[in-house]
Amino acid sequence: MRNSTYLKMALNMLLHSKLRSWLTIIGIVIGVGSVIGIVSLGDAMQASVQSSLSDLDLTKITISPGYTQASSNMHGPPGMRESGASTDSELTKDDIAALRGLDSIQYISGEISGSEKVKYAGQTATLSITGVDPQVWKYMTTLKTQSGRLLEPADKYVAVIGSSIASETYDHDIGVNQVITINNKSVRVVGVLEEKGEGDDSKIYMPIDGALNLITDAKKDVYDTITVKARSEDLVDSLMDDIVKKLMVSRHIIQEDDRDFSVTASKSMAESVTEMLSSMTLFLGAIAAVSLLVGSVGIANTMFTSVLEKTKEIGTMKAIGAKNRDILMIFLFNSAMVGFVGGILGIMLGWIVSYGLQSMMGGDMTAGGGVSISLMIEGLTLAIIIGVISGVVPAYRASKLKPVDALRYE
Amino acid sequence: MTLTEIIETFKTKLNPSKTMDSLERTANFYDESENGSGESDSGEDLKSNPYSNSATVAVKSSEATRITLNEKEPLIKLTDVWKIYQMGEVEFAALKGIDLEIYEGEFLVVLGPSGSGKSTLMNLLGCLDLPSKGTVFLNSRDISELAESELARIRGQMIGFIFQSFNLIPTLNTMGNVILPLEFQEEEPEKARQRGEYLLEIVGLSDKKFNLPSQLSGGQRQRVAIARSLAVNPPIILADEPTGNLDTKTGDYILDFLSKLHEKEGKTIIIVTHDLDIVKHATRVVYIRDGEIEKIEERTKNKSEK
Ligand SMILES: Nc1ncnc2c1ncn2[C@@H]1O[C@H](COP(=O)(O)OP(=O)(O)OP(=O)(O)O)[C@@H](O)[C@H]1O
Ligand SMILES: [Mg+2]
Repeated sequence: MRNSTYLKMALNMLLHSKLRSWLTIIGIVIGVGSVIGIVSLGDAMQASVQSSLSDLDLTKITISPGYTQASSNMHGPPGMRESGASTDSELTKDDIAALRGLDSIQYISGEISGSEKVKYAGQTATLSITGVDPQVWKYMTTLKTQSGRLLEPADKYVAVIGSSIASETYDHDIGVNQVITINNKSVRVVGVLEEKGEGDDSKIYMPIDGALNLITDAKKDVYDTITVKARSEDLVDSLMDDIVKKLMVSRHIIQEDDRDFSVTASKSMAESVTEMLSSMTLFLGAIAAVSLLVGSVGIANTMFTSVLEKTKEIGTMKAIGAKNRDILMIFLFNSAMVGFVGGILGIMLGWIVSYGLQSMMGGDMTAGGGVSISLMIEGLTLAIIIGVISGVVPAYRASKLKPVDALRYE
Repeated sequence: MTLTEIIETFKTKLNPSKTMDSLERTANFYDESENGSGESDSGEDLKSNPYSNSATVAVKSSEATRITLNEKEPLIKLTDVWKIYQMGEVEFAALKGIDLEIYEGEFLVVLGPSGSGKSTLMNLLGCLDLPSKGTVFLNSRDISELAESELARIRGQMIGFIFQSFNLIPTLNTMGNVILPLEFQEEEPEKARQRGEYLLEIVGLSDKKFNLPSQLSGGQRQRVAIARSLAVNPPIILADEPTGNLDTKTGDYILDFLSKLHEKEGKTIIIVTHDLDIVKHATRVVYIRDGEIEKIEERTKNKSEK
């Protein structure tokens, strides 16, 4: 028999198949749909995280006061670990002095931050202000301006503002050289940052000397965080250890339990985010794989039943000259076709799922959204392979039926 | 009323000769198309075999004309054939040492009561089953020694099956069923279709080409089955109770048709039945009882007892 005839016979079987077969196809549709949906969602999330990580400075290490045991191994974001026994500890210029000797450090700077009322054109908003060292900040930060400039060493009462402060917070847009009022002190805007899409867009950066006088409980030479830039990414891990050791000594801390500061690398943060993301994708993928497995068991089950139902037909076909191979191929083509149809419908479902989830999770996700052509082809191939695999055993059994026995079957 | 009279009435009613006419017409049509001769006499004789002349036949024409080397050599030969069914502990012998020779061109009727082993014998003759003991020779070859694919080839090319319960594929329409054997033999689709048209015309079902078996009457289904059994133009037709599920009228039509096939095409026809009436078409009758041959009777065709 020719392949075209197998195809014709298999199609004929599919078209005349009972409702049961179509229900089986739903199993594959859901399986393929969830795999496609999850994989493309994972891709989109990966892409969006990657794009926000790409402008993350991987050589940056942040030291903050306070320390909790639980988070010591986790390298979570600094905000998460301010609880614990020693929240009243402080970072001072002594700490910076202690660290200056470390070779791997390229730049080091202390920063303060706080929320203050900021007035512009008669409107007031409470905004987060960060005081940075103008000597080194422009070398350490990955932020870029869309207009104006970053902070220069000689600056004092000037500010670089986030893009949403410039265009959204106030009724009137703020441009370069406009003056805003922070705690009744006039501050000139020298730069507007590029949009980043996160909380960073509503931050104000100022030279630390100026900020010191504007932020309510800021003290001289006391910092909220110390930021370090390592000479290279490879040095980050060893540098973190060195920093901990150095500070333990300089702060006269002997026991690990008494430690009152935390050291975080943005690199490890990036790593843990990607790790979390990929393990999440893996987990969801596993669920999808299970549903595919269930779907393929369903196909196998239906194929077994249909072989049983068609026993007499198989006997007839053998009597009129069908070879074992012919029977095998007709049933294999049939189950491949079930997989194919399920795959097509599954891709459609997957597309809907991924589109729905992505728009649910926020607008910027849809940028990488949609189901790629290669994923569609992979999904379809997978569905056909699953169809064939689940059809192999029943089809083989059908092909091996003895003609007399098959003909006698009622 | 004599039996012949009854048959005559049935014949005129069902008019099988009309069908045969159409067969002849088609035959002439084929002759013309191939010889290019414009001769179109009514063609009472069917010496020019439409099958062997037509190029649509999948089997080699040598096979179609003559299989055995000479008349003395049996086409099928059974020597001490036993078929024993094992049912748990119990053994049951459905055939107990059958010796039988079937020659080419015979119209053989195997007659016996229900349960006597007719179908079992039939399955062996049709290479659908193998004997438990003894040998079945088909054209001098022991079928027990042939590979499954070889047996499939024999079934597909040499034997046309007609079953009591028609055994059509329910999801294929009339045409699809008729040409299915040709598909298994990888006949070209166009030729298969032509062949199908031709056969459906012969059995008078040209207008039911696209009906599914479920949309046909029992008699029509059996005619489809006959057309299917002729698809590859096999030299042997095996029929197990072909009229068992049909009324007498339709049954007679089917038998007349087979009889014509035997006379005009020289096909070897083997019918298994418990219907005494069929005997009148036979050239030889094998009486079988309890798995053994009771007697074998030579006959001259159509000279049934009045
Ligand atoms: N697969 C089987 N297993 C066990 N016994 C069987 C099997 N097939 C047939 N038989 C037995 O073999 C005997 C002959 O069966 P077979 O079908 O050949 O009878 P038959 O002559 O065709 O009868 P009928 O005219 O009713 O069709 C029966 O007694 C039956 O019970
Ligand atoms: Mg029987």
